[in-house]
Amino acid sequence: MKIILKNDSQLHLSINEDLYNENVLFKCFYWYGSDYNIDIDKNKKQYVVIITSKSSTKIDHDHLLLKIKQDLIDFKLRDIVTKETKNIRELLTAKAFAHFQTDENPLTEISDPVGFDPTKF
Amino acid sequence: MVSVIEKKNRKFKEIDYYQNNELTNYFLLPFRFQKINSNKEILVNEVGDFLLVPIGTAEKIILKKITKSENETLYFDLISSFFISEEAIPPLLNVLEARYRTKKSFLDQFTALHIFVISLRCEHTCHYCQVSRVTENKDQFDMSLYNIDEGIKIMMKSPNPHVTMEFQGGEALLAFNNIKYAVLKAKEEALLNEKHITFVICTNLAPLTDDMLPFIKEHNIMISSSLDGPAFIHNQNRHRPQRNSYEVTIEGLKKCRENLGEDNISALLTTTNLSLDYPGEIVDEYVQQGFRNIFLRPISPYGFATYNEKKNKYQTEKFLAFYKAAFEKIIDYNIQGYYIREDYATVILKKILTPFPVGYVDLQSPAGMINNVIVFNYDGKIYASDEARMLAEMNDFTFQLGTLGKSTYNDIFYGEKAMKISESWANESLAGCSECAFQPYCGADPVLNYATQGNMYGYRPTSVFCQKNMEIIRYLFDLMEDKSIEKLFRSWITGHSE
Amino acid sequence: MILKTKGSPYDIDTPIIGRVTRIPENQEYEIFISEDLFTKNWYKFKAVLSTIKIISSLEIPIIHSIKNLEHLNEGDIVIINTDGIVNTIYRANSNHNFLLFTERCNSNCLMCSQPPKDRDDTEYFFNQYSKAIPLIPKNCYEIGITGGEPTLLGNRFLKLLNQLKLELPETELHCLTNGRSFAWESVAQKLGEIDNKRLMLAIPLYADVYHIHDYIVQAKDAFNQTIQGIYNLAKYGQRIEIRIVLHKQTIPRLAKLAKFIYKNLPFVEHIAFMGLEHEGYTSFNIDKLWIDPIEYQQELTEAVTYLSDFGMNVSIYNAQLCTLPDNLWKYSRKSISDWKNIYFEECNKCDLLAQCGGMFASGTKKHSNFIKAISIS
Repeated sequence: MKIILKNDSQLHLSINEDLYNENVLFKCFYWYGSDYNIDIDKNKKQYVVIITSKSSTKIDHDHLLLKIKQDLIDFKLRDIVTKETKNIRELLTAKAFAHFQTDENPLTEISDPVGFDPTKF
Repeated sequence: MVSVIEKKNRKFKEIDYYQNNELTNYFLLPFRFQKINSNKEILVNEVGDFLLVPIGTAEKIILKKITKSENETLYFDLISSFFISEEAIPPLLNVLEARYRTKKSFLDQFTALHIFVISLRCEHTCHYCQVSRVTENKDQFDMSLYNIDEGIKIMMKSPNPHVTMEFQGGEALLAFNNIKYAVLKAKEEALLNEKHITFVICTNLAPLTDDMLPFIKEHNIMISSSLDGPAFIHNQNRHRPQRNSYEVTIEGLKKCRENLGEDNISALLTTTNLSLDYPGEIVDEYVQQGFRNIFLRPISPYGFATYNEKKNKYQTEKFLAFYKAAFEKIIDYNIQGYYIREDYATVILKKILTPFPVGYVDLQSPAGMINNVIVFNYDGKIYASDEARMLAEMNDFTFQLGTLGKSTYNDIFYGEKAMKISESWANESLAGCSECAFQPYCGADPVLNYATQGNMYGYRPTSVFCQKNMEIIRYLFDLMEDKSIEKLFRSWITGHSE
Repeated sequence: MILKTKGSPYDIDTPIIGRVTRIPENQEYEIFISEDLFTKNWYKFKAVLSTIKIISSLEIPIIHSIKNLEHLNEGDIVIINTDGIVNTIYRANSNHNFLLFTERCNSNCLMCSQPPKDRDDTEYFFNQYSKAIPLIPKNCYEIGITGGEPTLLGNRFLKLLNQLKLELPETELHCLTNGRSFAWESVAQKLGEIDNKRLMLAIPLYADVYHIHDYIVQAKDAFNQTIQGIYNLAKYGQRIEIRIVLHKQTIPRLAKLAKFIYKNLPFVEHIAFMGLEHEGYTSFNIDKLWIDPIEYQQELTEAVTYLSDFGMNVSIYNAQLCTLPDNLWKYSRKSISDWKNIYFEECNKCDLLAQCGGMFASGTKKHSNFIKAISIS
């Protein structure tokens, strides 16, 4: 992440899309919208994020950058979870509200040494 | 697919034999995370189970840096609580499904609460009241018998075998004769339609007379009253020509307790700017009056200036400071041996600590409006929620769903307006909420969003609903780091403690 | 406690099941106990048990030369085997009767008090109980069904349950099972069809994570099958009790198990925390199992109060009151079967002797170091 511009009311950042994808960026900067105006542009493989303070107080850049870095990591982690668990989530929700029963029998062993087959009841 | 095992040997095997040792790495199950305080963060799974862990744990888990050997306890806690799995499809997936289905099963029965605004008349002039106050003498502001009948018809069409008929106003007791009519009619219809029905009257208790009590008792009607705090707050908030709203309320509470029993009377608090400065005094008053529960409701959102983000944020901050101060007092009383629970927190705690569904109108996803509550106004107009009706008082009919006697059940509950509202009523799909760790404990409120931000979808960063709930939920988790507080909270949910 | 005796058989080519009596005029019962010489009355019965030596066949089934028959009371149900062994199936004067459906088991618990036998006895026991169940007094309050693992009888398990419902509709049935068979939904469904409201299934669950439970029961996939089984049983309306044996392997995650049960199995009717019984495999595995009850008071308190706070029905079995913190006394039940229940010398001085469950007879081998009389003053 590179700082392109820094002054009392603005901060411009350049972020590589390979590091943080579009979903992550938008979800992260969504939450800054109460205190800042956010513009996100794209230039080849770089996202340019333009942050403009809504209040008249000077931006505390150290504090703001620290928060942005932490938030970007958090949202990237969330993105990883969302992607990895997409199928399970869909399966879970679909089956939770399904009206038909689809549960199959276990595929695991249950017999004792003598021999027992629960499908033969 | 079951084979006979030849001569299985009964030699005892060590614990390693029963572990999944071929596993190279675990799989993630859906979960969210959020900082709670400077040391701890919270992990919340798809059914609302949580783990309080040191900050940075979520990252380790997600980047697959947790190992059985180095983090054994955490590893198995994560498996047991459905945060990770050793198989791509967890073997107990259907347990998780059943739990998810259970959590949402408050929706199964559909609308339960039917609010009948039986009269707009009221002799108080509470400055925050959005209901346009009409003095006692104008009968055109009472709900007609026709509208009562039609409202009952709609109520009987609800698929829910248990319905609640709640009389609001104005001041509901000013139309007591109509209430009597409505209760008797509704009971008849309930019998025919095989429904179980409960009744509630919301009242400031001023018009309560002794001859009303037998009827109320006979039909087991619950009384929901208002107590804003000690006299100086209550009277200031609730102007009455005789300036004695507090005395009248206390007298009324006493009468109700004596005649109807402790369980049939409850009191709500409405906080105003004045209240915000006296959290301790308000709690003291409730304890003094012998209440075992107190509901710290925020200032009506319709006291919020619409579209003024800064003002709304400030008001919410003030309310949160008030809430926490009052809450500390409440906890103190409990520790000293006087059981009193805070109702709003209890709703949230039920969601956090139990596996059961919680259908609380103001804090559920999908939202309570229509799914759980419907409002029939004195003039026959139908609204999605109480707040929706208040918007109409300010000439905004966005949430007016129909008219009694003219609209069909389908028009009201499945009409275009309902469909439009439904697009924004599930927090699972709202920006900001979809990945929030508190999602299972929170809700959605399209009417509030519309009233404060101009659209039903809402904008989380400046949403007072979000601001308030996120902080209250975070605060409760922060408190629960102390195990004795968690145990106290259990007693708030079940009423006892072992 | 004697449940078995032996003598020499005549004319017994198939097991005979019946109720014993010493009263020759008693035409209701099937088996006559004689300590005297032969009389013609003997022919009124299906079989005779005699303490006296009989020299030759009398052409009725007889077991003779039995040393002692004092353990048998009027109305007890016995099975006379072809080899001369006489087993008591049901004791008329006891409140703790149980039907052992099989000694086979598909688990092999470290602390099993009835170690399994790997031969197929299911036909034998099925026949035994098919004949014995109609003879059980209709006013019998409660009967246990145990094993081994009763469901290994397969279809016969269901048949016997049906018979119990028919013959003993007022009797509470407490069936101990590992619950694994019910992971196959059709098994649970068929049990549901029997629809006996007096049947409760008592299922052990030892951990909230699979490997610890599987290790304790010495069977892979047992945990998953058991949980699945419990779910299917609940689906078909069965009443369920969860049993947890307290020992070194279950104590570390006990509170977490309690939470797991509340969150995932909130529908169970009862949860029983059980003190360790020193029978069967327990001695062999004692190093893996033994922990003095005094040492797990905290974990037990946390688990029990958590469940109880949330309104779950909890009991503590096989515990001595002096080893429990006093806030847990109200959960402790006198649960040890009469025939294996003992108290110590020290206990005679204790004010709580009447309420205390005491110990297992096997407790003389190993017990808490802190058994001490309590005085309430």
